Amino acid sequence: MMALVTIYIDGKKIIAGSEKTILEVARENNIEILTMCHLKGLTDVGACRLCMVELEGSPKLFSACTTKVADNMIVTTNSERIRRYQRITTELFFAERNHICAVCVSNGACELQDLGYKVGLDAIRYPHLFPQCEVDTSHPLYVMDQNRCISCSRCIRACAEVEGAYNWDMMNRGYQIRVISDFNTLWGESTTCTSCGKCVQACPTGALWAKSIVQGQQDKHPEFITDLMERRKMNL
Amino acid sequence: MNRVDFKNIIHAEELKAKNAPTKHKIFVCCGAGCISSGADNVMKKLQEEIKNRGLEDIEVVPTGCMGPCNQGPLVKFKPGNTVYQKIDCVNIGEVVKSQIVDKKPLEDLLLFSEHREKPFVNAEEDPYFKKQLKIALKDCGDVHPEKIEDYLLHDGYKALDKALFEMSPEDVISEIKQSRLRGRGGAGYPTGLKWETVYRHVNDQKYIICNGDEGDPGAFMDRSVLEGNPHRILEGMTIAGYAVGANKGYAYIRGEYPLAIKRFEAAIKAAKKLGVLGKNILGTNFSFDVEVRIGAGAFVCGEETALIASIEGRRGTPSPRPPYPAESGLWGKPTLINNVETMASIAPIILKGGEWYSEIGTAKSAGTKVFALAGKINYAGLIEVPMGTTLREIVFDIGGGIQGDGQFKAAQTGGPSGGCIPAEHLDVKMDYEELMKLGSIMGSGGLIVMDENSDMVDVARFFMEFCVDESCGKCVPCRVGTKMMHDLLQKVCENKATQLDIERLEELAVYVKECSLCGLGGSAPNPLLSTLRHFRHEYDTRVQPVRKSENLVHQ
Ligand SMILES: Cc1cc2nc3c(=O)[nH]c(=O)nc-3n(C[C@H](O)[C@H](O)[C@H](O)COP(=O)(O)O)c2cc1C
Ligand code: SF4
Ligand code: SF4
Ligand code: FES
Repeated sequence: MMALVTIYIDGKKIIAGSEKTILEVARENNIEILTMCHLKGLTDVGACRLCMVELEGSPKLFSACTTKVADNMIVTTNSERIRRYQRITTELFFAERNHICAVCVSNGACELQDLGYKVGLDAIRYPHLFPQCEVDTSHPLYVMDQNRCISCSRCIRACAEVEGAYNWDMMNRGYQIRVISDFNTLWGESTTCTSCGKCVQACPTGALWAKSIVQGQQDKHPEFITDLMERRKMNL
Repeated sequence: MNRVDFKNIIHAEELKAKNAPTKHKIFVCCGAGCISSGADNVMKKLQEEIKNRGLEDIEVVPTGCMGPCNQGPLVKFKPGNTVYQKIDCVNIGEVVKSQIVDKKPLEDLLLFSEHREKPFVNAEEDPYFKKQLKIALKDCGDVHPEKIEDYLLHDGYKALDKALFEMSPEDVISEIKQSRLRGRGGAGYPTGLKWETVYRHVNDQKYIICNGDEGDPGAFMDRSVLEGNPHRILEGMTIAGYAVGANKGYAYIRGEYPLAIKRFEAAIKAAKKLGVLGKNILGTNFSFDVEVRIGAGAFVCGEETALIASIEGRRGTPSPRPPYPAESGLWGKPTLINNVETMASIAPIILKGGEWYSEIGTAKSAGTKVFALAGKINYAGLIEVPMGTTLREIVFDIGGGIQGDGQFKAAQTGGPSGGCIPAEHLDVKMDYEELMKLGSIMGSGGLIVMDENSDMVDVARFFMEFCVDESCGKCVPCRVGTKMMHDLLQKVCENKATQLDIERLEELAVYVKECSLCGLGGSAPNPLLSTLRHFRHEYDTRVQPVRKSENLVHQ
C-alpha cells in the first residue's frame, strides 16, 4: 500500500501517493512545470535542470522530476527566481550548439522551440559557442545531427530501457560531450541498433530525424515511448 | 590468529625493538615532494655511504611525507629528531660523517637554517612543528609504509583490537559522534551521524568506501597518508565496517597515484596475513575484506555518486541525491563513504576517546585539519593544525611568510570550489563556519598563498577553466554555464569586458550555483564570487564603456 501525503504546490492543496515525484503530482493536477530531459516512462536523470522548484524551509532548489513528494511539502514552481532560471537555461541551450530553426526538420514541432516561446525568449544574452559539429547520415533510415542535440540523453535511455539495444552512449566531458553510436562509430555501421526508431521519437529536437521527411516536416511522438512503457507495465 | 596471539606478536615486536642493537635510525622522506627533488638517489647514496663507513647497524627507513616539502629532500636522524634539508648525493656524506661519526650536527644543512638565527637540532622544537598538531599525519614520517611491524610499534591495529573486543558497534558509533569529527572530503558532514545512518539501514549487504580520488589541483594530503601510512586507513575502514555492519570495503584511489596504489595493496596483503583483515578478524566472527579500485583521472569521480557509478563500471557522472549512498549506494546497497583523512582519524579517536578529540579545535569544528600549503609561501608542504588556527599563524608562523619578503595579498582555500581570503581577514580562525562566512570553504584543505603580484581576475579565470574541463557535462548549468563564465572572465582579463558582462557574470554565477546537479557545478562559481566580493576593484578597473549596439540587445 502506498502511503498518502498532503502537499501544497503553488498554494494548491493536493493529496498524493508518497512514491511519486513532485513533477508527476504537479502534472496530474494540471500545474505546468517545464521539462526537457524528462520523458514519462524513462528513468529520470535530473540533467536539464529546467524543472527546478523551491521547497519551503530550504534555501536550495530541487529538480521536480527526481524529488519525491513528502508530507506537508510546500512547493513553489513559478517564483520570479524560478522563471529567471528557466530563461537562462533556455538561453544556454540555444547558445551551446547551432540551432538554426529555419533550416531544421523539426521547425514548428520542436520541444526546444516551444520552450523558447514559453519562457518568452526574445534574445540570447550569451555569446553563441557555434561549435563544429558532425552530421551522421550513414544510417539507411535516420540522421543524427549533433548541431541540434541538447544532450538530454532521452535517446540513450529510450534505446536502453525500452528497446534494450544500448546503441547510444555519451562520450567526452563538459561542453564537449557528444552522443555516440556504439563505440563512437558510424550509426550506419552499428552492431547494436535495431533501426526501431524509438530514439528518433524520444528526441525533443531536430537532432535525430527520419530521412523520409523534409524541412519542417518531422512530426515526433515521444508519447509513443510513454504508452509503450505503460502497456509493458500492464503486462499486456 | 586470536587476540592473545595478536598481543603476543605486538609484545614480541616491542621487545625486539627495545633490544635491537640499532642505535640510529635514518629516515629518508620519500613523499611526493622529496621524490621529485631526488630522494631516491639520496636513499641509494646513503645506503652506500653507510656500508662504506661500516655503519651497518644503522637502519635506513624510507617514509611518507614529513611536511616541509620545498625544503626537500629531507633526512631525519633518530634519536634526537635532527632533520637536514636540501640533501643531495654530495652533501649526504658530510651529514652522515658529522651527525654519526663526529656526533656534531652540521648546522648549515639543518632544517630552516637559512631562516633561523640558530636552527634547532631537535626539529620538533622549531615553531614550524610546534604550532602543529599531527593526528591524521602522525607517524607519516616515522613508519616504514611497507612494514606492518613498524605500524604495530606505533599503536597499529590496537584501536581495531579495542573496538572488536571491548566495544559494541553502537559504542564505536557513539565514540565517533562524541568526537565531533566531520568529514574531511570537503562538505564537513558529521561522521558519527553518517555512520549511524548506515548502521540503521537494515541490509545483509553494506559497503564501506574510502574516497582517495583527491582531484583538487595542488592537494596531496590524502596521497601522503595513503603512501606514508596505508595501514592507518585500512584500520579505519575495518573499524567502520564493524560499526555499520559491512563486510566489504573499496579504496578508490586515483590512477595518478601509482605508489599509493602499490603501498595500499601491499598493506592489504600484509594485514590479511597477520589476521587483522579478511575472514574472522582476530578470531572473532567479524570478517571484512578490502579491494582497491583505480580512478581514471576525472575530478568529478571524487563526487560520491559519480564515484559509485565508476566502481560499478559505469560512466562516472553524478546522480541526484536523495537517495544518499547511506540509503542506496554501491549496487543499491547502504554504503558508507568517507574521505581518506577522515578514515585516518578513526583509529586515534577509538584509542584515545571521542572526548579527547572533541576538545581539540573550535566549538563547531573539532580536531585537526591537514592543509597543503602552496604558492608564494616560504615553506610549501603539508601541515596539520588544530581547527581554529588563524590564517596568519599558518602563513607566517608555520609557512615562514611570503617569499622574497613580498606582501601577502590573499589566500585561496578549497581549490576550484573555494574562494580567496584577503589580507584584512588574516586573523580568521580556520574552521568550516568561519571560512564559509568569508565566502570560501575549507574544502579538502588546499591553501594557495598569493602575493601582491597576483591578478585576482586571472585566479578566478584559472579555476573556472579547471571546472570547464572537469564538468562531466550531464547538467546544463554546469556544462554550458561554466563555459560562458570562463569566456566572460577571459574577456575581463583581456580588458574587453563591459559592465554588462560583469552583470551577466554575477547572474550566471548564482544561477549555476543554485541549479547544478552536483557539488562541482554547485561550487564552481565560488572563486569568481569571492574575488568579486573581496577584489571588486580589479574587475571594475578593467571594464570598458558599453557600446550602443550591445546595449540594445542585452538590457
Ligand atoms: C566535484 C566533487 C569532487 C569531490 N572530490 C572528492 C575527493 O577527491 N575526495 C573526497 O574525499 N571527497 C570528494 N568529494 C566529496 C564526496 O562527494 C563526499 O562528500 C566525501 O567523500 C564524503 O566523505 P567525508 O564525509 O569523509 O568528507 C567531492 C565532491 C564533489 C562535488
Ligand atoms: S540526440 Fe536528441 S534525444 Fe539524444 S541527447 Fe541529443 S537532443 Fe537528446
Ligand atoms: S554540476 Fe557539472 S559535474 Fe555535476 S552533474 Fe552537473 S555537469 Fe556534471
Ligand atoms: S526535467 Fe527535471 S532536470 Fe530535466
